[in-house]
Amino acid sequence: MKKKLQNIYLSFIIIFLYAPIATLMILSLNTSRTRARWGGITGKWYLSLFQDEAIMGALYTTLIIALLSALIATVLGTAAAVGIQGMKLRFRTVMMGITNIPMLNADIVTGISMMLLFVAFRITMGFSTILIAHITFNIPYVILSVLPKLKQTNRYTYEAALDLGASPFYAFFKVIIPDIMPGIFSGFLLAFTMSLDDFVITHFTKGPGIDTLSTKIYSEVRKGIRPEIYALSTLMFLTVLFLLVIVNTEPKEDKTQRAKRLERESRARKTSRFLLTRVMPAILSVVIIAGGFYYGSQNIISGDNQVVVYNWGEYLDPEVLELFEEETGISVIYEEFETNEIMYPKVQSGAIAYDVVCPSDYMIQRMIDNDLLAEVNWENVPNIKNIGKTYLEQSRQFDPENQYSVPYCWGTVGILYNKTMVDEPIDSWSVLWDETYRDSILMQNSVRDAFGVTLKYLGYSLNSTDLDELTEARNLLLEQKPLVQAYVVDQVRDKMIGNEAAIGVIYSGEAIYTQWENPNLEYVIPKEGSNVWIDSWVIPKNARHKENAEAFINFLCRPDIALMNFEYITYSTPNEAARALIEDPDIRDSKIAFPSAEMLKDCETYRFLGDENDAVYNELWREVKSK
Amino acid sequence: MKNKKPLLAGPYLFWALSFIIIPLLMVFYYGLTDKKGAFTLANLARITTPENLKALGFALLLSFISTVICLLLAYPLAMILSGRDVNQTSFVVLIFILPMWMNFLLRTLAWQNLLEKNGVINMVLRFFHLPAWEIINTPGAIILGMVYNFLPFMVLPIYNVLVKIDKDVIFAARDLGAGNVQTFLKIILPLSIPGIISGITMVFVPALTTFVISDLLGGSKILLIGNVIEQEFQQGSNWNVGSGLSLVLMIFIIFSMALIAKYDKDGEGTAF
Amino acid sequence: MPNKLIDIVGVSKSFGDNLVLDDLNLYIRENEFLTLLGPSGCGKTTLLRILGGFETPDEGKIIFEGKDITSLAPNKRQLNTVFQKYALFTHMNIQDNIAFGLKIKGKPQSYINDKIRYALKLVNLEGYGDRYPDSLSGGQQQRIAIARAIVNEPKVLLLDEPLGALDLKLRQDMQYELIRLKNELGITFIYVTHDQEEALTMSDTIVVMNQGYIQQIGTPEDIYNEPENAFVADFIGDSNIFDAIMVRDKLVRIVGVDFPCVDTGFGTMKPVDAVIRPEDIDLVAPEEGLLKGIVTHIIFKGVHYEMEVTANNYEWLVHSTDMFPVGTEVGIKVDPFDIQIMKKPESEDEEAVSIEE
Repeated sequence: MKKKLQNIYLSFIIIFLYAPIATLMILSLNTSRTRARWGGITGKWYLSLFQDEAIMGALYTTLIIALLSALIATVLGTAAAVGIQGMKLRFRTVMMGITNIPMLNADIVTGISMMLLFVAFRITMGFSTILIAHITFNIPYVILSVLPKLKQTNRYTYEAALDLGASPFYAFFKVIIPDIMPGIFSGFLLAFTMSLDDFVITHFTKGPGIDTLSTKIYSEVRKGIRPEIYALSTLMFLTVLFLLVIVNTEPKEDKTQRAKRLERESRARKTSRFLLTRVMPAILSVVIIAGGFYYGSQNIISGDNQVVVYNWGEYLDPEVLELFEEETGISVIYEEFETNEIMYPKVQSGAIAYDVVCPSDYMIQRMIDNDLLAEVNWENVPNIKNIGKTYLEQSRQFDPENQYSVPYCWGTVGILYNKTMVDEPIDSWSVLWDETYRDSILMQNSVRDAFGVTLKYLGYSLNSTDLDELTEARNLLLEQKPLVQAYVVDQVRDKMIGNEAAIGVIYSGEAIYTQWENPNLEYVIPKEGSNVWIDSWVIPKNARHKENAEAFINFLCRPDIALMNFEYITYSTPNEAARALIEDPDIRDSKIAFPSAEMLKDCETYRFLGDENDAVYNELWREVKSK
Repeated sequence: MKNKKPLLAGPYLFWALSFIIIPLLMVFYYGLTDKKGAFTLANLARITTPENLKALGFALLLSFISTVICLLLAYPLAMILSGRDVNQTSFVVLIFILPMWMNFLLRTLAWQNLLEKNGVINMVLRFFHLPAWEIINTPGAIILGMVYNFLPFMVLPIYNVLVKIDKDVIFAARDLGAGNVQTFLKIILPLSIPGIISGITMVFVPALTTFVISDLLGGSKILLIGNVIEQEFQQGSNWNVGSGLSLVLMIFIIFSMALIAKYDKDGEGTAF
Repeated sequence: MPNKLIDIVGVSKSFGDNLVLDDLNLYIRENEFLTLLGPSGCGKTTLLRILGGFETPDEGKIIFEGKDITSLAPNKRQLNTVFQKYALFTHMNIQDNIAFGLKIKGKPQSYINDKIRYALKLVNLEGYGDRYPDSLSGGQQQRIAIARAIVNEPKVLLLDEPLGALDLKLRQDMQYELIRLKNELGITFIYVTHDQEEALTMSDTIVVMNQGYIQQIGTPEDIYNEPENAFVADFIGDSNIFDAIMVRDKLVRIVGVDFPCVDTGFGTMKPVDAVIRPEDIDLVAPEEGLLKGIVTHIIFKGVHYEMEVTANNYEWLVHSTDMFPVGTEVGIKVDPFDIQIMKKPESEDEEAVSIEE
């Protein structure tokens, strides 16, 4: 009876621990790209995974960092443990205190403190800074695994070795090390695991252009995780499970059983056991390391004929990149950002010379104001002719002479609603304050969008800098907060597809895709007007490969390429020639993708409002969020 | 013979100075200066704004609740596991370490799938005609996420202490007339204090300072102190205020380190 | 003759495939000092733990004062245990350790204080009440463990190799201490050990066990002088054990030489085991002995010399107060009543009985 209760409790905990993991495994077999809808079983993500350089690169970075940091931490930590063991009590206490700091300190503080150090000493953040950070938080795990084993070792064995003529060095390696090997090994394993699982510290110490799986996933959370990631995680999990099961099943027999088994066991079985327990892990490590060097070297060897692209996450069809590389022989170094605000300081600092970047309208204005951009040489971008005149005209709001930017995508901000969950068609922002939809509203989690929507609802400009208007908007947002189910960015898409909410504020580009997945969804630009935005390609002043950048932009403006890209990312293209190529008339003439001028008459573009006004917006927004 | 062994700790000492101590001093420096580099306490004082106080208070409350839940879940679990004849500690560690090989963010994200209005759990509940469990985007979901992510850090130290208790000590108590309850209260519980303390700090500190879990499971409606600090660094880019707030956080961390030093001198309760 | 206090009836216990106790029967009288003696793994500790209530037998019963206590919880039994490694509560001081059982029974504080004082005095550790177990030596901890058990006034004290962790001198002191305690308290001691000297020194009754079976029950003298089988003979003290042939009653052939003995009833020309204690072998002039041998080894042991004598290709272990240098030719003589004849074990199981474990 008691045993039964215990087993029930154990199963409960195990289900609790492993339910999310099972969920992820199931998602890796989902045909549908979105996690919100089940589209049947498929294994295709397991294949496409290996063609996805971004993911494989992140995987190998992760593994190499984990391996190197665990190895170095093991060496340093083991030596430290032996040293600490030999110290007088007072010093030992101090050393253990220091060792405990990274263990007990909050990840966020550890990460920040190291970031401050790297910045202060002008160490470029990248692979090496992540490695240093990981070694730092790994060493304590090694020390704390090795110390107890050292305490157990008989110190006379070491002295006996010396007595028998061994040098201290020899005695250390032949007597002490084998004795504490289990501790060293578990320390290594722990360090490896911790490094693998870390997100927070990597988040703060990573530089642009390098991603571990954790940071890669974090940047994808907003867009919706790609199923390949689920597939990869499933594979990793199963590999480790397999290895650990092998390692753990071996020593469970006692001596007599072992003797009997050895007698019985044929040579063949011995060999297979040897293969499983020794050779397999070894091969795996070799594959990991070799793969790591292979992928690592790819970035380095690529030579100077390259173009460094800095784009929004999930904002370009990877096949387009491949085609570009094939046709031009220029290799692309591709990096992603999540928001304009994260992109800006990185370009501004000039730590990395990006060749081509894709900011939004108001941010382009800011970059022009701060003299960060280079003029485009239009001779190198003949395909500009394919871009609709209206869009170039609109671009003048932030790029008055059309000197700096080439429109890439554009769209509106509107309301996506589920026809089955609302009573009547929606045409006004007022539904966002409608008590009926309490807990069914998804609001944008960004300052400008949240305030823009509210200001428009109040009948003000969404570029308002009038404090009274802004305060009024803040009060309205505070009033709205209890009705809001969640503040999200791109997750609106998945949640609306999954029928989680009735109403969501969303970019028009996502609307088309969501309708494919869930036909009950409808997109509307409210009658009060909204934001119309343009994301354009620009070339920073410090670009090293300006001509390559222009070739890249020109390539993207080619009608067939623009179409291919549109079909992948579903954001409206300003490329009229590409639009003409769209076969499906519903999409070609979609009111969502290509709204008429009439629908856009009350829409405005965001403008950069200056640092001080930015701060006001941020402060008011924080007041809303922390209420 | 002169003892040369402490020299082996030299490289580590150097490393620790460079990458633990100096960075911490950097936090102090930034936290106590303004943008121009002049000394100020204003950054520390930022904790007293209503929004930040609320974020801190909320973080304290949520992490306290999740710590208590973790303890209540973990103790019986550790008892059961230590009572099993798995003298292979590695097996127990395996159960709890294994999930870490599935990325932390993914695991937490998976809870969205489970908890959502139309998520797995609610689908099951609906199947049985039970009322839906509306927990996603509430503090409840954040607590669940904390408990889920940090439970192993409570189980392992307690388990480690419990398995080290000599079975004869428990038999001795029974032999001297103590019933099950008395044996637990007077012997097992007091002897496992180091593990409990170590577990509490290992759950409380990360829970107090998380910004990821609140982000993913709280629908960004609930700002914890970790979110505030993260935003100061990543979006608001006011490092001085961020550092100042980190210093405030460190008070709680130092407090927990002191607790460990007092109750777990021998490091018996270390998690692994 | 005192009454039976505990009756162990047909107790069997196995762990997995390993049969530890096999249909064991034994009774223990009031006020007896009974020792369970045997090599490790013989089942003696398991038997003690069954008595203490920490294990339940697979079969059989434990009768205590006429009542079946087989499945009674340990805290309900009138027995207390002194554990092998003391099992003191490290988070309590000595007083609280000793008071533990009394507090649980809800005794008044004044009574508890008296008891603590009495117990500390009894084990010669007055004034140690406020200290913590970690600050005491092994011997002191051992005595506290005994004090902690006896304040509860058990009818039986179970001691599980209590002296195993102590050094030789301390062990000898504690042996006298235990005998004194037992006499002062007037209760039953059940003592588990693998040390034959401890068993011989302290016990009223010795139960020799091996591989889950009782090999012999008897007084120390019985066990030593008349071992019932080769196992007991080999385990208790030094001995020469020979594969011998019982020629006829009162005559045994050892290493080819016929020795007169006193045993009868083993048949004629039957293989037997013959045991001769080393101190029972007389070394005499070569021509006076039953057979001749040469001294090959000699060690001075204080009370006597220990010698090895090779005779008829067999090494005889001999204790003697007389000294014969290595190389001396000697004669070997044994009095008939010093030769112990034992039946050969018949089953394979019994054959397996050996002490090398």
